[in-house]
Amino acid sequence: MRRDAQGRLRFKIVLWGPSLSGKTTCLRWIYDEVTGLNKGGFTSVEDPTGRTLYFDYTPISATGKVIFDVFTTAGQRRHKHQRKIVLQGADGIMFVADSSRSQLQSNIESLEELKGLLGNQLGKEIPMLVLLNKRDLPDAMPRQELVSALKVEGFPIYESIAVKGLGVKRAFQAIAREVLLKRMYNV
Amino acid sequence: MTVDVKAFERILADVIKAESGIKKVILVDRTGLTIAYTTRFSYFKVDVEGIGAIASAVYCASEEQGKSLELGELQIVTSEFEQGKIFASSCGKGILCIITDESVNIGMVRLLMKKASEQLKAILDEFLAEKPAVQLAGGEEEEELKAAFGELDKV
Repeated sequence: MRRDAQGRLRFKIVLWGPSLSGKTTCLRWIYDEVTGLNKGGFTSVEDPTGRTLYFDYTPISATGKVIFDVFTTAGQRRHKHQRKIVLQGADGIMFVADSSRSQLQSNIESLEELKGLLGNQLGKEIPMLVLLNKRDLPDAMPRQELVSALKVEGFPIYESIAVKGLGVKRAFQAIAREVLLKRMYNV
Repeated sequence: MTVDVKAFERILADVIKAESGIKKVILVDRTGLTIAYTTRFSYFKVDVEGIGAIASAVYCASEEQGKSLELGELQIVTSEFEQGKIFASSCGKGILCIITDESVNIGMVRLLMKKASEQLKAILDEFLAEKPAVQLAGGEEEEELKAAFGELDKV
């Protein structure tokens, strides 16, 4: 948590996950469709094909005094240096997993990279929520099987179909609450 | 809060006033947060926080590149465009970003950045250190957080 020069509390939430798991789609949906929250501009650093090259970013305000700076990361393997930079100062993580069975290994590798960068902070000082995205895919793994394979039983688990906006708002509210609770009560 | 945050604005204002080619001055931290900024009047609406997030990311990426290549400490990042330039340099825990027109006196900008960076460094170190890792919210801050909690529930 940081304060800016205007005294506003700023919390950084990072959407992390493997390539094409739906991180940008989630943030874009929150930006375009969720009413009742004030949002700043939507900044994207993407390649000519529209894939995230560095990050997407938008500030989302719950009140005038509390702002969530929400970032996505570039999921492709070669962008690991960019991901490390975006992760700096994160107050909360939303791990966006691709439910497709064919993407299981990519999910595991992405999570391992995150654990490697945050170490013991993950889930303790820095809350994490796991969003199982693309639940409508024909080869989507059953929830419990995917959770077990990722070894994320101790984290809050949410399901979504980001292209339809299903489950995205609820997951964002949940990680935002986790971040606030961590600051208020260190729980 | 013990840090005089108005000092940020004063230092940034001094920079923008010192050279007519300077259009915007933005102070960001290394997590992408825009701490303070000042800008000349413009008809074009600019998303300063987005620009600040990119400035921070670009500077940190250049630092990482230099580290991998063992090039030593990064001094300044310069991006030259047809109609303007962007400069970024470190000021302790923060990054000072200056956006100018194309004909700006580069030597002057460098000098201004050096001076401002030294001034900002000391205040920034104190400002950004005001977040002890495990200090819990209390008083006014707790009220702000509770209000945010309530707003999230209404969405």
